[in-house]
Amino acid sequence: MNCVRGQRVLVSGMGGELGSLVAAMLEAEPWVGPIMGVDVDPPRRRLRRATFHRIEPHRRDAIVDVVTDFDPHVLVHVAVWEPDARVGTSQARAFTDDAAIAFLGAAAECRSLQSIVVRSGIEAYGRGRHSLTRPDEQAPLEPTSQYGRMVVGIEATARATGQRVGVPVTALRLAPVLGPHVPSPLGRLLRQPMVPFSLLGDAAFSVVHDDDAARAFVAAAERRVDAPVNVVGAGAITGLQAIARGRRIPVPLVGPEWMLTRRLSHLIGAPIPEHVLEVLHRGRLADGSRAQALLGVSPKVSTIEVIDRLFAWESVVRMPGRAEAVA
Amino acid sequence: MATVLDFPRKAIDGASAAALAPLRPFLPAGSVDEWGRDEHLIDALTPFVRLRWRAIIDGEQHLPARKGALLVTNNRTLSFSPLSVAWSLARLTGRPVRFIGHPDIAPLGPAMRRLGAILQHPDEVRGALHHDELVVLGTSTTPHPRQAGRVDSAMVGAAVLAGVPVIPVASMSSPFGRRIRVHVGAPVRPRTKRRGPLAETELADITQHHLQRILDELGGVRTGIAPLDWVVEG
Repeated sequence: MNCVRGQRVLVSGMGGELGSLVAAMLEAEPWVGPIMGVDVDPPRRRLRRATFHRIEPHRRDAIVDVVTDFDPHVLVHVAVWEPDARVGTSQARAFTDDAAIAFLGAAAECRSLQSIVVRSGIEAYGRGRHSLTRPDEQAPLEPTSQYGRMVVGIEATARATGQRVGVPVTALRLAPVLGPHVPSPLGRLLRQPMVPFSLLGDAAFSVVHDDDAARAFVAAAERRVDAPVNVVGAGAITGLQAIARGRRIPVPLVGPEWMLTRRLSHLIGAPIPEHVLEVLHRGRLADGSRAQALLGVSPKVSTIEVIDRLFAWESVVRMPGRAEAVA
Repeated sequence: MATVLDFPRKAIDGASAAALAPLRPFLPAGSVDEWGRDEHLIDALTPFVRLRWRAIIDGEQHLPARKGALLVTNNRTLSFSPLSVAWSLARLTGRPVRFIGHPDIAPLGPAMRRLGAILQHPDEVRGALHHDELVVLGTSTTPHPRQAGRVDSAMVGAAVLAGVPVIPVASMSSPFGRRIRVHVGAPVRPRTKRRGPLAETELADITQHHLQRILDELGGVRTGIAPLDWVVEG
């Protein structure tokens, strides 16, 4: 679908890496008019056209006021807190629920609203016993982790909102998103010097680069597809293969010692939430072949390239001091 | 003021190289495909598999060159014929051939998935066939090597929905010999075009019938030792 020019786009979660990347890409789109963003943190990159409001997700009235004043044509809902990415699991759940209710509720009050795009994840399919190895969009949603349940909740709220106000809802089910500055518990864990992996079930998983994820949001905002879409980097890799590529020390674990490892890992700054543990034990794959047909884009960076880039990103960028630079 | 601790890169590299050295030949990234099958591992295990099975294949012209197909093979108790047929046809065609059925519990499930197993679930099978994969389905197990067991109509239904052919593949092996004979039959065509669930039920029955006919034509097991053949034939 070709949009008319000057469409107003609201980006919730614009402060995060993915949200600000989406906003930066939207600024370059000819069909996009005014862009407004709301988040608890300021944007991570320089935005030229977008306006930003710093509002906490629990301040629903303030969110409703700014959203209804803006009256968006498209809501791009990126305000999803992955557990242990920026905040702990319970806070992530509370923030995500508050944001979903506030933004989707507020958008439903806007007369001009034409489309909703929400961030979801392939965690929604779950990895219980007898779960499909590579679920497509028609597979049942049977989440087996807290994050999975969170994204299923967002999808349900968005779908209900879309049905009530009669607008299409695109749920982008993203594979674990990795990027140079994306706070990701999986990425953080893999970059540790010693990385645990499941000796008995070293299963394959896929990831997606943040650029590709952001491009999918922009395409979904333009195309307005009323369906869920998996966004998954091509190929797959296992935990041990990723460790070998990153030249980390593999720590083979079998069962009960995972509990101790999770606690230790949490102490050294790389918590292993339930959904990341699931990736290492049971893998996480999905069929992303419909993205090209529905959105007109598909991820350019393969899973293995994303993992290689993950290990190539600088941990600390050293800037010379002022005196040192002068000397 | 916080201090940045330097990552002991050299020490970690050394320890990692030492820890991964014995595993390095088995760990090329990219060897695992999007269904969890590990081509490199299969290549590494092939010499050992050849110690057990030596496949003689005919009728391979019936296999589609690029498209997907559901290959239905007979399954004598403890013969692992879906695995051996998938392995043999993958070597012959150069395409990944998957087989249906693995226990979804570690460590056997993940290990079998690396060898090409997929879940015995119609949606999983439909997904694989939809992506032009060759998938081997074993019939229900039978004690007799020349008896085709029941064909799971739910799996055949996945092929019907994916719009791919169902091909009977007779396999004849002996618990005592290395030789395994694999005969790929012509794609099964239903007598009547059905719109509903009768399509898969009837197609499953016809496939079983075709498979039985091929097995009858193949004759019995021939190990070269007659009494042994009588024992195997039951």
